[in-house]
Amino acid sequence: MTAAERPILPKLVGERIKRREDPRLITGHATYVDDLKLPGLLHLAFKRSDSAHGVIKNIDTSAAEQMPGVELVMTGKQLAEILGPMPIGTPFPSPDHYAIATDRVRYVGEPVAVVVAADRYLARDAADAIEVDIEELPAVVDPEKAMQGEPAAVHEGFENNLAVPYVPGGTGVDPATMEVDNSALDKAFAEADVNISQRMTNQRLAPNAMEPRGVVAHWEPGKEQITIWSGTQNPHILKTMIAAQLGVGQHQVRAIAPEVGGGFGCKINIYGEEYTAAAISRKLGAPVKWIEDRSEAFMATTHGRDILAYVDLAAKRDGTVTALKLRLIADVGAYNMLLTAAVPTLTMLMLNGTYDIPVVRAELTEVFTNKTPTDAYRGAGRPEATYFVERAFDMLAHELGMDPADVRRKNFIKKDAFPYTTQMGAIYDSGDYETALDRALQNAGWEQLKQERDQARAEGRIVGLGLAYYVEVCGLGPSASLPTGGWEHAGVTIERDGRITATTGSSPHGQGNETTFAQMLAEQFGVAFDDVTILHGDTGVVKQGIGTFGSRSQAVGGTVLMNAGEKVKKKMAKFAAAMLDANEDDLVFENGMISVKGSPGSGKTFAEVASFAYVPVPLPPGVEPGLSDEAFWEPENNTYPFGCHIVMMEIDRETGEPRLTKVVAVDDAGTIINPMIVDGQIHGGLAQGIGQAMIEEVVYDEDGQLVTGSFMDYAIPRADDLPWFEMDNTVTTTPVNPMGAKGVGEAGTLGSTPAVVNAAVDALSPFGVKHVDMMLRPEKLWRLMQGGGA
Amino acid sequence: MEISGEYHFDAPRSAVWAALLDPDALQAAMPGCERFEETGPDAYDITLRVGISAIKGTYEGTVKVTERSPEDSYRLSVDGGGKPGKVQGTALMQLTEDGGGTRVAYSGDIKAQGAIARLGSRLLGGSAKMLIGQFFKEMDKQVKQRAA
Repeated sequence: MTAAERPILPKLVGERIKRREDPRLITGHATYVDDLKLPGLLHLAFKRSDSAHGVIKNIDTSAAEQMPGVELVMTGKQLAEILGPMPIGTPFPSPDHYAIATDRVRYVGEPVAVVVAADRYLARDAADAIEVDIEELPAVVDPEKAMQGEPAAVHEGFENNLAVPYVPGGTGVDPATMEVDNSALDKAFAEADVNISQRMTNQRLAPNAMEPRGVVAHWEPGKEQITIWSGTQNPHILKTMIAAQLGVGQHQVRAIAPEVGGGFGCKINIYGEEYTAAAISRKLGAPVKWIEDRSEAFMATTHGRDILAYVDLAAKRDGTVTALKLRLIADVGAYNMLLTAAVPTLTMLMLNGTYDIPVVRAELTEVFTNKTPTDAYRGAGRPEATYFVERAFDMLAHELGMDPADVRRKNFIKKDAFPYTTQMGAIYDSGDYETALDRALQNAGWEQLKQERDQARAEGRIVGLGLAYYVEVCGLGPSASLPTGGWEHAGVTIERDGRITATTGSSPHGQGNETTFAQMLAEQFGVAFDDVTILHGDTGVVKQGIGTFGSRSQAVGGTVLMNAGEKVKKKMAKFAAAMLDANEDDLVFENGMISVKGSPGSGKTFAEVASFAYVPVPLPPGVEPGLSDEAFWEPENNTYPFGCHIVMMEIDRETGEPRLTKVVAVDDAGTIINPMIVDGQIHGGLAQGIGQAMIEEVVYDEDGQLVTGSFMDYAIPRADDLPWFEMDNTVTTTPVNPMGAKGVGEAGTLGSTPAVVNAAVDALSPFGVKHVDMMLRPEKLWRLMQGGGA
Repeated sequence: MEISGEYHFDAPRSAVWAALLDPDALQAAMPGCERFEETGPDAYDITLRVGISAIKGTYEGTVKVTERSPEDSYRLSVDGGGKPGKVQGTALMQLTEDGGGTRVAYSGDIKAQGAIARLGSRLLGGSAKMLIGQFFKEMDKQVKQRAA
């Protein structure tokens, strides 16, 4: 085939390319942690506390130790001799937290001992044979009572169970001294025409990744190196932490995230089970595996959300919001995990919403209770902020008899006001809130829907419309805002056969980076999509990285990949220029050829140039052989994607069961690389956001017992819970990165949750209902319709 | 979790009182009771085998009778544990005349830990009601046998 006959390669960036990951995932050919088999592999099982709070009086491991096939049993005290308390990633003072409890248990599911045995079932049986004598202490369950020190102290030295005692922020707060001046706040509320005041909860959720957690640790005594495979969102952080905890150099640790079946934030944290597996593998000189079962996941994987807020809003009669004040109380559970304390600070940061509100004040308190610790969960702090603000705006619209869309439009930060510094200190990069609102209203047929609702009401049906607008902080972020460092790393190599192999520190767990990143690189080099391979998740292959969270893969990982690609491309141009006897600035890369501009048939194939670069005879002056380079990059700011979600709901008058009849989403994530993947991310986010509003809730009883410990009692959305999603995008690019991409992984969970609750309250407004806390249990809605409290 | 209910015996209060607090009758009436040993006045060690769904298993525990007010009321406390977790229950049992027979009303509280709480809390109320129902039915037989 001559150059002139080569097929024209299709455009890739911005196109709906099917995910190349999916065939292996849906045909059972993917390799997850539990698929790993190593010679001599031993299995771990953890004995966990059935008590929410108590003193460990005695642990009898004798029966377990005598079972044939049991290699080792260790209590927390024994493990503490080889493994110190676990590190966290936030600056607040924090109680010691051992991988296995040493003297006290503080939540149901906290490990109290570990068994190592020849197979998984034996390990589990042996763990069950361990007898633990616990002297019960009163369980701390209600965060507001916990703040008064009632009924007990979860940790010594943390008065009134305060994990983070009091952090003020926003208008009138000096960030340097934390001194608070209330004059503007008091004035705004005193002069307001309307005051809205409501206590709201954003309930505790279980992340429920489809693949539970798992780890294989293999210490090789001869090499004094450990390889740790884990279902993690951030293998490089895992590597750093494992090295620190084992007291070895980072060169002695290789961390591998093989296929990871979802994370939603709960796989950012480095868990006690991972440290324990590493320490025991080193102690025994043998590989060990631990795979979490679903029952363990409910109690031992970090939970999400669980923030309650006292919300006060001041407004003028025309709908202008003049002040917003939130007192936030976060129930963080029993311990600080990697980012536990930081998540509610993101709620604080985003309390301006999409609005130009002159006075915004937040006060945050984080409280220890005898529950599973919280950490990031899809949206991590921002859905909570959006929920509180958007509920308050809807309550205002209701109070004033205004259209909820008009109240929002009236208060929007205007398109020409960006970059916009909020009262909370965030610098919003770009935005065009009215365009996305208009698009959503148009796509939904808002005026028509209002008529349909009113008609349905006239027929005696209970129908409501809900709208919510969100902005989130994504593309995390500058290193100033991330304790891990806020950069990302990429490497690009042109192989000798002209194929491209790239590495990314953005370790995906469902984001589709193998597809989107290949689209970008293929287009950058003018080669076929199939000629680009993206490697990730192995610190032995990917030199450096941070990981995947905070919707950062595209905005940060994608940008640095382009930067690394650009370096290699420049070098490749030098080789091509030598081969073509041309000026390197006159070359174009397209259709698998590198040619002189204006004469496309004259060039060399990509493979020919690659081959020459590795056997360069003669070597062009001033050029090193080979085609491989890398880059680090960090953004100077976060990105702030936004959007509008609209839902319609009908509630069954007889049973109280809510059913969504319409979901419309317009999201603005900036530049889109693959609309199909963006749709998929929004789709999953909407499902999880709707799940929170309607059917999901982690429940503890008054003794701190987890009563939603299985999928029988904890619901997650299924296809038949959800209507068709009508999705659309507007594109407002960000100046923060050259592609203009903002990030989309979490967006779906932001607007959908308040939109659903707004619809429920709208539906129930004829009954005098002004607010209802999530989840929308049919019984609760039925009681409200009978005139009772929720 | 709070539980309450009542059962009607076609027998005088004295006969019902005597049966309810008789170790042999108690042993016979407790569903799945495999061991029942008196360890002191009004205190017993027991082994129960329960065959219901998530709370299935063998439980070792103690039964105590306190706050005795003869033929009128007493408090029954059961504390047990097994592989599925721990259960603690306490109930005030009140006996009253009821049209020539006796009404026994119970009201109390059940606490659970472990898999019972996590997996079985939805079933716990129903299971407890069922087991209590079986207990009274069997106790009824015991009362009748004694009268015969």
